[in-house]
Amino acid sequence: MNMINVVNTAARAIDDVWLPSSCSLCYGTCSILAHRVDGVVVKIEGNPESAVGKGRLCGKGVSGIMTHYDPNRLTHPLRRTNPKKGLNEDPQWKEISWDEALDEISAVLKQVRAEDPRKLVVQRTTTVTASRVPFQTFAAAFGTPNFSVSGGGQHCGNGAHLISGIMHASWSIVPDFEYCNYAIYFGASKGHAAGHASCSNMGKAADARARGMKMVVVDPICNFAAAKATEWVPLRVGTDAALALAMCNVMVNELGIYDGAYLQAKTNAPYLIGPDKLYVRDPGNKEPLVWDTRSHCARPFNEVAAADMALEGEFNVDGTLCRPSFHCLRDHLRKFTPEWAEEISTIGSATIRRLAKEFGTEARVGSTIVVDGVTLPYRPVAAIAFRGSQGHMNSVYNFYAVDLLNHLVGAADVVGSCLGFNPACHGHPDTGKMRYIPSAGPDGLMVTGMWMGYHYPYPPSEPRLPTNLGLQDLFVLGMTSPFLDSTDREDMWQRFDVPYRPEVMVNFGANLIMSIANKETVAASLAKYKFMVSFDLFLTETSSFADIVLPDCSYLQSLDSRSNFPFIFSLPAGTGEWCWPIRQPVLPPDGEQRNCADVLLEIADRVGFRADLNAAYNASLNIQAPHRLEGETRYSYAQICDAELKNNFGDERGLDWFKENGLVKWKKTPAEVYWRPFVDVRVPIYWEFMLPIGNKIAAIAEPRGLKIPMEYYQPMPDFLPCTSHCCKKSDFDFYAFYYRDIVHTNSFTMENPWLDEAARLDPFSYTIAINAAQARKRELHDGQLVWIESEAGRKVKGRLKLTEAIHPEGIGIAAMCGHWSDGMPVAKGKGVFFNELLELDWDHVSPVNNNLDLCAKVRIVPVEAAP
Amino acid sequence: MKWGMVIDLKRCIGCYGCQLSCKAENGTPPGVYYARVLKAEEGQYPTVRNLFLPVLCNHCEDPPCVSACPTGASFKWEEDGIVDINHDLCVGCRSCMMACPYTNRYFNDQASHYHPQSATPYEAARTASHQTNVVMKCNFCRDRVRGGKPPACVANCPTVARVFGDLDDPTSDVSRLIKERGGFTLHPEVGTGPSVYYLPA
Repeated sequence: MNMINVVNTAARAIDDVWLPSSCSLCYGTCSILAHRVDGVVVKIEGNPESAVGKGRLCGKGVSGIMTHYDPNRLTHPLRRTNPKKGLNEDPQWKEISWDEALDEISAVLKQVRAEDPRKLVVQRTTTVTASRVPFQTFAAAFGTPNFSVSGGGQHCGNGAHLISGIMHASWSIVPDFEYCNYAIYFGASKGHAAGHASCSNMGKAADARARGMKMVVVDPICNFAAAKATEWVPLRVGTDAALALAMCNVMVNELGIYDGAYLQAKTNAPYLIGPDKLYVRDPGNKEPLVWDTRSHCARPFNEVAAADMALEGEFNVDGTLCRPSFHCLRDHLRKFTPEWAEEISTIGSATIRRLAKEFGTEARVGSTIVVDGVTLPYRPVAAIAFRGSQGHMNSVYNFYAVDLLNHLVGAADVVGSCLGFNPACHGHPDTGKMRYIPSAGPDGLMVTGMWMGYHYPYPPSEPRLPTNLGLQDLFVLGMTSPFLDSTDREDMWQRFDVPYRPEVMVNFGANLIMSIANKETVAASLAKYKFMVSFDLFLTETSSFADIVLPDCSYLQSLDSRSNFPFIFSLPAGTGEWCWPIRQPVLPPDGEQRNCADVLLEIADRVGFRADLNAAYNASLNIQAPHRLEGETRYSYAQICDAELKNNFGDERGLDWFKENGLVKWKKTPAEVYWRPFVDVRVPIYWEFMLPIGNKIAAIAEPRGLKIPMEYYQPMPDFLPCTSHCCKKSDFDFYAFYYRDIVHTNSFTMENPWLDEAARLDPFSYTIAINAAQARKRELHDGQLVWIESEAGRKVKGRLKLTEAIHPEGIGIAAMCGHWSDGMPVAKGKGVFFNELLELDWDHVSPVNNNLDLCAKVRIVPVEAAP
Repeated sequence: MKWGMVIDLKRCIGCYGCQLSCKAENGTPPGVYYARVLKAEEGQYPTVRNLFLPVLCNHCEDPPCVSACPTGASFKWEEDGIVDINHDLCVGCRSCMMACPYTNRYFNDQASHYHPQSATPYEAARTASHQTNVVMKCNFCRDRVRGGKPPACVANCPTVARVFGDLDDPTSDVSRLIKERGGFTLHPEVGTGPSVYYLPA
């Protein structure tokens, strides 16, 4: 493989190189080639050799130069001299040396580790995918379970990743763009904005569009994905489950469309359910029973041929009356009529019936197709969801109801269907490493082969009296927790007798003040930390709460052996290539900037837990002998990266080889891409485990005064309203929501002047989108300055943009704008800070997965002109 | 040989990749974007279409900017049809900007950079070398193209919405796409004969 690596070897050595590396403007982490001439990066392009991005980049990726060279970047460690912390407090920074900084940090951490290591909370931004291992291992080795990702998960993933993990053994789901004929997107923009497999998906989605794939986009606003859709279906904010459940009902009960064979063989549809809503189990081996239609008796599921399993019927098993779960589901779905769904979602019942018929028909249940000589099931439909639809109280059921559409017709991880991102990999052809495959776990249900954290989505852990600050050991279906910063966190900790409190935070690049909820709540939480260290590129709104700020290297100055891995996260799904790129420094650090991974290693050395950290790295990176890290040896991060690469790809392919070549890739096989028919695992179309988990949580929580609403812990999905849906206040008649802008990432890129310039030219990036007719009815005009005020009285100010492309009840705002930090002067004052409208407490999160409820009922108040 | 570009509006997702990769390739100063993305909507709720229209210099057959130029700074290359500017001859009168019906020319008033405090090393390398007091515009990445590479915006587009090639060659991708997909130019009524074609969304 030839890299474009031109080094002019004339008599006078001239620096003119293209170095392969990885982008970091969003977590898509597309592969790049960075052109450095005489010590200056003058261009960033995609790397055509890589499957990640395929040689192309979005607007953010090509603009990375101006993030790196921002003169507002931190270059020296800083120490606050003003002990007071608050939104209006000036930290009064003074520059200190690294030695001073690390002395103080190590002293604090040493003390905390001796007292109770759980008092340390580690936060990181999801934007830098490669930061996961260094910070996760640091937390694990230090001895704290309190590891979080700021707004990540709480906003966008507690639902999406939970259900994608349980139902598709992956982090996320996407249509099989190459073969899908009909895709329905619920609050998602895969292939049209950013995120997982960003640029690769953009190319694949464009190919699908050119090929004629129909794309229906269900979204309160018509932008990005809906702009390219064959049909935009506007709906009332947060009501996706109503549409999805009605479609399931129409398909199964009105049209009789479902994939019986798939349900029999690949789901728990035949498992018998008793009057207690639980599996009827074999008294001996406790396996769930199915009804064998051949021998007319109930037998353990793993002893009956799939085709002989009943999907419907009433059976008596030793006196217990029971039905297969599919029968329960079918009956359960009947109440979700299109008329019912129309009331809730505002989508016409005729449209709902039509969508269900189109989806069910195009699923072509029973058909097959030959790919590379292999005959595979062919279901060219996909229903996908992501941040938008799962960002509500009904997070779990919203996402699950959408995915149920797929499983009812067998459109899961087969050709043309809804795919997880790379759930199965047969490993590198030479070394066999990185092999992972989903397997059958308890009750025959699928356990993912690869995950991003220590706790897998299935099987769920046993709820217990929590000792994690985030209560994830109680709310076991949650992931990122709101309870680290919520207004009721102290109540929760007291209620559950959590025997310690957070005292120290190590933050990598996250801007918690802006990325979680209203700034006042998170500020109050951060101000209580006794000591906070923040690795940052700029002084953000969150940096101002730190005691010490450390100047981080940008991605152009950083090394990471696994910029992209695991493959479930951001390698494009579907046919193509496995690809392992790295990130390498193109430029040296400026001033006193240092690489965070190396800093963490040094801190571990000073505090005295290097051996634990080496062990954590071995476990996390799965490093075997002879490359395994030993004892307390003080490996540098570069040495650890080298060990990982050699471990995975052989001794000849260590760091030096990767710096030269950039990546390793090999072709995917159809059996890997369309793995489902080849692996004997089942997924739950009846979440039987919900009820016992809910009961166990209630048994712990309710005696301590926390009522668990059991309607959220039922085995079959429902539509449960958000606070906004229940609001009856007379002039609060809009649902405010946010969306991810294509030109910005989190709260990060508004500081980039090229991206800011593009955003200022865009009609929507910094404005408040409102339905034109609704605005005119209220005598509001384009460009008008208004307050958007929530039920709780929180408000944000911005300019209206009248548009036809939004639901009449919607107020749409691009995410995480509205900076106020002086440390980000380009970002300051641009756009609207939507998250100010969000509350952060038990009442505003899903009681199941603790995802935040991201919609708010609001009223519009024109800003009075100054007198 | 006549260079031309085809932009497929069905594929374009309005990611600003073209606008920004052009800026990165050419080091254009603040306020100058040889390639831009325009956004508009048509229809009435709920039957709405969102449109993304990437635009750039059209390298016209009969460029009014060339005929308007008093010094000959604006010219069209015989060999390949690129409409270009010789900045040594440009006196900054801006007649060409008034003549261009597509507003795709920009005046580089004085040296400027993005951050008020200082120019970045990138800008020192790539922006500072642009002459001031002259008009600037897209030149189809003339040096890249003559070196065998496509223009930066074409190479970068993540949806592969931009295609570049010889309009004089009926078998080229651009010629074929225009014919097969019904390629059209912007404002054909002004009669300048653009070399940039669009495929319908």
